[in-house]
Amino acid sequence: MATSTGSTLPHRAVANIKSPTGGGSGSPSTPPRGILSSFGSPSSLRAEEDLILIDFGSRKLQVGFAGDAVPRGSIWFGPDQQRRVGDFRIWQADYKNDWKKRASGRQWGRDYELWRPDVRELDLGLVADKVERAVRDAYTQYMLIDSRPRRMVCVLPSGLPLPLLSATLDALFSRFLPPTISLLSSPVAVAVGAGVRSALVVDLGWAETVVTSIYEYREVHTCRTVRAGRMLTEETHKLLASHLGQSQQNPDSDPEYILSFEECNEIASRLVWCKPSQRSSQIKPEDGLATVEEQDESETKSQQTPGENAKTTVPLRSYSPRTSLDLSYEELAKPCENTFFDSQYHMSSFDDHELPVHLLIYRSLRQLPLDVRAICMSRIIFTGGGANVLGLRRRIFDEVSHLIEQRGWDSVQGKAVDALQANPLLKKRATRQASNGPTGVESRPSVGEEHDGVWYDAVPNLPEVDPVEEQLKRGRDKTPQVQGVMRAVETVGAWSGASLITQVKAPAIATIDRDIWQQQGVAGASKPSDVDPKNQRQSLGAGGLIRGAAGASWTLGIWGAS
Amino acid sequence: MAPLTPYTYIQCPCSDVSPLSRSNDPNSPSTAGADDEERTFDPRAPRSNFSLYPLEYLLYCEDCHQIRCPRCVAEEIVTYYCPNCLFEVPSSNIKSEGNRCTRSCFQCPICIGPLSVASIDSQPDPNLLAAPDQAQSGTNILICSYCNWSSTEIGITFSKSNGIHAQLAKIRNGGAPRLTAKEHKEKRKEEAAQSRLAGASSPESEQNLDVETQFANLKSFYQGQLAESSSGGNGLSSLGDLGFASPNSLSRIMSIYTGGSLHDKRSRSRVGTMREALDSDEGLQLADLDESAAISKLQSEGYEATISTDQLTEQPPRLEDAHLHGRTRFTSELRPIPYLLRTKRSKRCPVCRHIISKPEAKVATTRFRIRLVAGSYIPTITIRPLNVPGGASPTSPPDALVPLQPAQFLLTFRNPIFETVKVTLATPSKTPGRFPSKVTVLCPQFEIDANTDVWDEALNKDDTDKDRRRRRGDENNNGGNGNGNGNGNGNGNQPEAGKIWERGRNWVSIVVEVVPASLRLDLLASTANLAGGEGIDAGPLREDEDILEIPMFVRVEWEVEGGGDEVGSAPGKDKEATEKRELAYWSVIGLGRVGQS
Repeated sequence: MATSTGSTLPHRAVANIKSPTGGGSGSPSTPPRGILSSFGSPSSLRAEEDLILIDFGSRKLQVGFAGDAVPRGSIWFGPDQQRRVGDFRIWQADYKNDWKKRASGRQWGRDYELWRPDVRELDLGLVADKVERAVRDAYTQYMLIDSRPRRMVCVLPSGLPLPLLSATLDALFSRFLPPTISLLSSPVAVAVGAGVRSALVVDLGWAETVVTSIYEYREVHTCRTVRAGRMLTEETHKLLASHLGQSQQNPDSDPEYILSFEECNEIASRLVWCKPSQRSSQIKPEDGLATVEEQDESETKSQQTPGENAKTTVPLRSYSPRTSLDLSYEELAKPCENTFFDSQYHMSSFDDHELPVHLLIYRSLRQLPLDVRAICMSRIIFTGGGANVLGLRRRIFDEVSHLIEQRGWDSVQGKAVDALQANPLLKKRATRQASNGPTGVESRPSVGEEHDGVWYDAVPNLPEVDPVEEQLKRGRDKTPQVQGVMRAVETVGAWSGASLITQVKAPAIATIDRDIWQQQGVAGASKPSDVDPKNQRQSLGAGGLIRGAAGASWTLGIWGAS
Repeated sequence: MAPLTPYTYIQCPCSDVSPLSRSNDPNSPSTAGADDEERTFDPRAPRSNFSLYPLEYLLYCEDCHQIRCPRCVAEEIVTYYCPNCLFEVPSSNIKSEGNRCTRSCFQCPICIGPLSVASIDSQPDPNLLAAPDQAQSGTNILICSYCNWSSTEIGITFSKSNGIHAQLAKIRNGGAPRLTAKEHKEKRKEEAAQSRLAGASSPESEQNLDVETQFANLKSFYQGQLAESSSGGNGLSSLGDLGFASPNSLSRIMSIYTGGSLHDKRSRSRVGTMREALDSDEGLQLADLDESAAISKLQSEGYEATISTDQLTEQPPRLEDAHLHGRTRFTSELRPIPYLLRTKRSKRCPVCRHIISKPEAKVATTRFRIRLVAGSYIPTITIRPLNVPGGASPTSPPDALVPLQPAQFLLTFRNPIFETVKVTLATPSKTPGRFPSKVTVLCPQFEIDANTDVWDEALNKDDTDKDRRRRRGDENNNGGNGNGNGNGNGNGNQPEAGKIWERGRNWVSIVVEVVPASLRLDLLASTANLAGGEGIDAGPLREDEDILEIPMFVRVEWEVEGGGDEVGSAPGKDKEATEKRELAYWSVIGLGRVGQS
């Protein structure tokens, strides 16, 4: 390969550390490699050892063996999991009816969560206990393994608070005694599971919807909103409660929950759906005003096919007395509408933590550097429980496309922008197609529209040879990458993606040694930037060899950066 | 409300309640236990639920003299078996074929009842016998005898009545055939060979992959890329196998996301070495966002066509389908659930590695070869209300305790071991929680006679129960430990502080007096205000908050013959020195519900 010098250089650097005698020579094709393989792939020594992969979600835990296509099983958190052993009350006949004692007020549904992003009122010990019991259940129920210590890989959301991470690691290290725990970030695993190197991962999760931009397996931008599963369930409750309130002749808005979480959650997952974007069926709107959403509801109603007026009967068992409601599908789409879009409000009226999902995605894309944006927008991945709402993915996708169409990538909004958009020339550019060039060079013309003229002429004429660009060009496959168009990609999921990562034996973001953890705890972690990556990787790679090295700095990767 | 049967829970000393100071070695219960002594245990704290066990769930290590709970044992697997067909599964199959029964054992996806294979009555058509494939197709179905669900509801029939699992893996819902990952690979190989001959590209590049195939495609793609990128550099392509494993290529690919520190020239030079997947053969799958068909199905079929969350979680992982996303909610997407395999496990003490429980290896037997249950080493506690003669309500035992009115309970400690044990009890004077009840143990320290001489009792059978008890009590009193209850006049005795109520051969009853707290929330608020308490929780009564639970620290001391390895061994051999043993643990005694005035 032409880049032999380029690619062997780093090896030599690593080899220098390990065996100073081996790496000094200038010949690129000799010994270092051999030394490396004998030193640095301890994974082959343990190849037959099971590696346990745990994907932590807010509400469930997926556990399996690394290398499998799907997890062996998932454990859902719930109040029944937190009972004492030998407490069989869930089998009592009236157990489901007195849910109000168990979870009312702010506790509504909390028992179904492993943790919350807000750790202020959270009992970390309880989180550790829940993790322990869930993993133990998974061991006996699904994994069918004994309790010999095994190495573990944890897939964690990249925004996980440090106390939660610490509690989780504590629970795992102290009870299951794994020699090491490796951490992987779930958005990256999702991207790997889709077969792409860069992606915009939209995780429609439980507590939060997180939009993460991955570029070359690196998280480059993350933003989040509370519009997610929990809010959907609460909106469902609101919808049902309003209907029950009407039938009760009790119009005062009671903040108390009148239906159990289980029931609302079930209805949300069974019946709630998402209306398609009206724009997908309409002709492209010409008005281009952001406030166009105000007309949404009336328009959709007028457009309905007669089938959408159909009703369904929803039995409500947790309400006293038991009852059932006739709900139209129009109504059942409302929770989703309110949760993820809230389009009756103007876009500027949202706080930062509650941006509608489509706006969040749009903003997230807009904040990305140009090249990254072009790549990411053609690799949108929807994942998480919210993706199970029928029609939601399509709707978000359409809304984002519409926003892009409407506004381009100009962060400036307002009347002046409207005037600009009226200009047909600029409008055409805004809907550009993918550029053919495989590298970033050709995509440059699409920098902020106003500057097009300048850049377009300037770049191709530049005779300068950028060594980095050259390397990039040579290394890259000649097949053109799809970029610049909106495209959604399917993933096998975070767990399976992590399984792929471990399958190819790539090092994790951080690998924590049990001995070191128990000596130092979370306080011992260095910031990722303080840890020499070469050293770090060496100590990861060499596993047992360098494990005892005292004073070796270790890191919790992105989670430890505080 | 259902009356509550009094109960006892025991906290295994391995649990460390403190959230901050986790002991370094969780398996050394002695240190954790020492910590516990200084703290009052709150049985109502949410964490307590994870450490409390009924006595029957606890084991005991004879060598460490410690209670072992399910959290602090090391397990080993004796047998894997299917709970339905009781077929023993070799451990190698677990790895390769997963954790479910691969024969014909299925659970109903609706009601989790067992499914049985039934053949649909079809007229034996002599014409069709000529073509056996045709004749046999679709003659068998899976049917649930409880809820009458049958696999025809999801459009699946089987041609053979055995090996259902293998057949099911090849059928999609609706009856469409499906290729397994291996078959996909072979097919692709064939196609590649054909296209090489024909010089044409693969015809099926944009297909809908199911999860398993997508995973397999991605895997082979990544491995191919790794092999390429690592072998390309230094001409070691002959060592292709080393390619994946070598850190050289690994770090090149995945290390890129280790963080900003790698954002240097070196990592950039690596960027190009691996490309992304480009088509479905490499695992790239474009998302099919059009769910309008599913939506209209939802709208036409309604609530009844969807499945509950319980049914959804029971479903096995969906390997054989493309990504279903929201469509998993339909009953038409249900799959029969292959039975999860189960295991028989033997348990070892994590400290001394001695086996403390070992079941018989044969699946069908339920016997144990070794089982050291804690119930035969530590005293059992049974509770019953004490009807004090001449008391307030002797006739009917109340379902609920009356608030603010003293009630007395009889705790009976039964000693299972062959030594006399000395029991010391400690309870907080007020139970923790929002509604503190007053607790008084009238006799917190007593001795229980050894569990010896069953014959002794048998021989003394001529005595009446009362006589025996009194006699024992007298003996004990004369024995000089001062704890005996001497004033035995049958039923006429009064509970008295410092005296035990009754004693028998290996048991002692003591009296506990409780004054249940009032559960009225307004009182709670006012008392809290008087005490100057801030931030009192005046929320409504929570689940189980009306149950009067007493945390009780139990300390058991006994002496064994020195050198005797086993606690349970019969004493009597004259050894030189005796050894003192003690066991201390928290237990929780649930007495009953407090009535709400």
